[in-house]
Amino acid sequence: MAKTILAVDDSASMRQMVKLTLSTAGYQVVEAADGREALAKAKSGVFNMVLTDLNMPNMDGLTLIRELRTLASYRGIPIVFLTTESGTDKKAEAKAAGATAWIVKPFQQDQLLGLVRKIIGA
Amino acid sequence: MAVTGTETFEALTLGLGGEIFAIDANSVHEILDIVPQTEVPGAPPLVGHLINVRGKVVPLADLRIRFGMERTPPTIDTRVVVVEILLDDEPTVVGLLADKVHEVTSIAGASIEDTPDIGMRWNPDLIKGIGKRGDDFIVIPDIVRIFTTH
Amino acid sequence: MTGADPGQVFREEAAELLADLESALLHLEQNPTDREPLDTAFRALHTIKGSGSMFGFEAAASFTHHLESAFDRMRKGELAATTAMIGIALAAKDHIRILIDDPASADTAVGDGILARLADQSGSAAVSAPLHGERDDEESRATWRVRFRLAPDALERGTNPLLLLDELRGLGEAEIVALTDDVPPLEELDPTRCHIGWELILTTSHPRSTIEDVFIFVIDETELTIEPVSATSEPGAEQEPVPAEMPVPVPAMVAGPAVPKAEPMPEKGRAQPAANSIRVPAERLDDLMDQVGELVIAHARLKQLIADSVDLQIKSVTEEIERLSNGLRDITMGIRMVPVDSLFGRFRRLVRDLSQELGKDVLLTMSGEETELDKTMIERLNDPLVHIIRNSLDHGLEPAAERVAAGKAPQGRIHLSARHAGTRVLMTIRDDGRGLDRERIRAKAEEQELIPPGAKLSDAELFQLIFHPGFSTARALTSVSGRGIGMDVVKRTIDGLRGTIEVSSLPGGGTEITLGLPLTLAIIDGLLVRVGQGRYVIPLFAVEECVELPADVERRHANRNFLNIRGALVPFLRLRDSFAVRHPPDPYQKIVIISSGDKRVGLVVDQVLGDHQTVIKSMSKLHADVANFSGATILGDGSVALILDIAQIVAAGQTQELRREAC
Repeated sequence: MAKTILAVDDSASMRQMVKLTLSTAGYQVVEAADGREALAKAKSGVFNMVLTDLNMPNMDGLTLIRELRTLASYRGIPIVFLTTESGTDKKAEAKAAGATAWIVKPFQQDQLLGLVRKIIGA
Repeated sequence: MAVTGTETFEALTLGLGGEIFAIDANSVHEILDIVPQTEVPGAPPLVGHLINVRGKVVPLADLRIRFGMERTPPTIDTRVVVVEILLDDEPTVVGLLADKVHEVTSIAGASIEDTPDIGMRWNPDLIKGIGKRGDDFIVIPDIVRIFTTH
Repeated sequence: MTGADPGQVFREEAAELLADLESALLHLEQNPTDREPLDTAFRALHTIKGSGSMFGFEAAASFTHHLESAFDRMRKGELAATTAMIGIALAAKDHIRILIDDPASADTAVGDGILARLADQSGSAAVSAPLHGERDDEESRATWRVRFRLAPDALERGTNPLLLLDELRGLGEAEIVALTDDVPPLEELDPTRCHIGWELILTTSHPRSTIEDVFIFVIDETELTIEPVSATSEPGAEQEPVPAEMPVPVPAMVAGPAVPKAEPMPEKGRAQPAANSIRVPAERLDDLMDQVGELVIAHARLKQLIADSVDLQIKSVTEEIERLSNGLRDITMGIRMVPVDSLFGRFRRLVRDLSQELGKDVLLTMSGEETELDKTMIERLNDPLVHIIRNSLDHGLEPAAERVAAGKAPQGRIHLSARHAGTRVLMTIRDDGRGLDRERIRAKAEEQELIPPGAKLSDAELFQLIFHPGFSTARALTSVSGRGIGMDVVKRTIDGLRGTIEVSSLPGGGTEITLGLPLTLAIIDGLLVRVGQGRYVIPLFAVEECVELPADVERRHANRNFLNIRGALVPFLRLRDSFAVRHPPDPYQKIVIISSGDKRVGLVVDQVLGDHQTVIKSMSKLHADVANFSGATILGDGSVALILDIAQIVAAGQTQELRREAC
């Protein structure tokens, strides 16, 4: 059974890139454009990992992470957030909210793949 | 001789030099009471002064100059109508002096007609059309031309 | 990610990277063994390739890939940074720019040509160096004891210790033992808590940092020790904790290399010297500046309104506001300041290319590149400076043979410099070429009827004539500098920046052009004066002093207007005449002595009201043709005052004077 990833970002091109990279490597990817949509999909689906941007309309990434961690089914699920080089202050906040790991934008496709493999395996 | 063809549009009517003019309501930003003016030496007489509109420096235009009207001193009814128009595709803010501001009203296309009685004492190039509202004739000036031609 | 178009963000980033790349290449050309520009060039190419493919710029990414490989080989010393290579890289940089900015117009033949030359120079086909991971080679294997204990809630946060162990196993040979001493009895066991620790003996050729990297996401909460041991150690053998092995949060324990920054990527795209900078759209800075400007005006109004008040509290608060708004203004202006180097740097390439094209050996030097200027000004100075430099190269600097015959070194020199001088920035462009030909300029000016024949002009006045439209004494119009349309546009641009431009030159000794520029376009220090009933602002930088107009001079109205100031004759101009003021003049008029270029002129006003710092509002399009004024400002009482355009007023006065002289 292929592992499933929920990819959350308000940038369509970003979601597209993530989907392309990960699905080619054998993961299943479900997209959401903001925190609210993501939470809804998370509640109605089963994911091995959540990948989210922090800066989004309708519910930002930090709130999403906190909300997910209140759900029993999402305790223990790795949540990875996107951050920029200058956003180091967000890392502490995100970790406090319950995030597992992060990836720094801009990133290359192989970097994303390497990270996902590290977090949830192949 | 008259220019016809425009459809109904919302216009702000104002009185100037004894005539009633109609300005496209969409271009009007605000209406101010008369404010202190600063003369600009060397500027064309049409825009010979500057005024302060909430922190922005805006030219004040006296259309009476273009229409050869007598320039009577301001009264208690005098207002400045601040409009934004496109000159060479650039949005430009300018204040239009008005003896009195009437109201916003629809000028219907049908009422824009030939009016030989008025007698074109002004350059017809500067006028888009003449409308009628009740017994009054309303002049629809071509604002852009007024500012771009000499 | 905000709603910004990612492609646009990439394009902006790429533009900066390409500029860095070009700088680095030019520097490398002069210093082929220098490591730093080589690394910079490689990093720029690496990032463009990586981000390019991420944002859909496939053609740019795959083209850049070859360059990146070549530069990687150069970094490793497998390839030399020859002039030919630099030339190819520069051409490639131009092509990459096209592939990013306007891919549809890119000429694949050009691209292929560059790659072919590259392949030639590199010998064999470029091989991309492995980006991460090191080779496992026998010589550098070491054995480590790695012991870690995750935070109790690590599992709830999605950390999977098994994957960490797998990753460690992937680095070499590992023997792993679980540390179960913390596992509570079954009744107390919480399966969601991580009670188990692990210890491994790992033999690997990877450096310690790679082992640490495995733990990057959990390092803050994890007890981790990594220490070298002999290969015969066994995991779990040590029962007694030796001080060096005390499980203590990582930063204190991991000796040697500093704890790595917790970045998942082994290589960062681009190391920026300013680590904590953010990108802000320029419009946002303009908005900020506008708001700050409004604040300055509002404060001025407040100050005026309470001027007569005796309420100490209000006055004190108003002063506080003044302090704060001035501080805010200074900070905001500071944000927009950018070192002139970003401008000067572009010219290295220009001079290199032009000197090659013209077959002249020219050295470009610069000083004061760290001097800062408002960002918008920097942009607008580009074209004028390009033109001035082109002129120098084309007309000013002689070919080597002629230079030698004149006793000069064969290599021509152009020097750019910038420095602060009071509230202005002075920028000079100096060449050591032929200098300006006074006779030719005079002849041309007389021919164009700019000056009456036989008029006596100082050098400075003569040289200012070159800024007239259509004036060009170039014997041959070359493709490089084109027609003499340039200099008047240069002057107009500089005028538009409220700047000044002066020329000095020695026959055979070269030419120096000096630009005087305000620090910022937004705020001005001015002298407020009254002429008739109108108030005007004179830019303070131009003001030298204020004197009274002597009564006897006043009487001789129609004649030449000159004033004797400490032995020097200074012409004056009555602003009431320039502005057609009908209001009767004040009994005791004042003269504000200003300097414009090297001319000093007195401006006669009715009253000097004091100095006044204010935000400049640009003139409306409807007043674009009004000479004499460069902008407007709002005074403390809410009324509008016009700002005098010194250069224009003085020039208008000059023309009047010259005409009178000619009569």
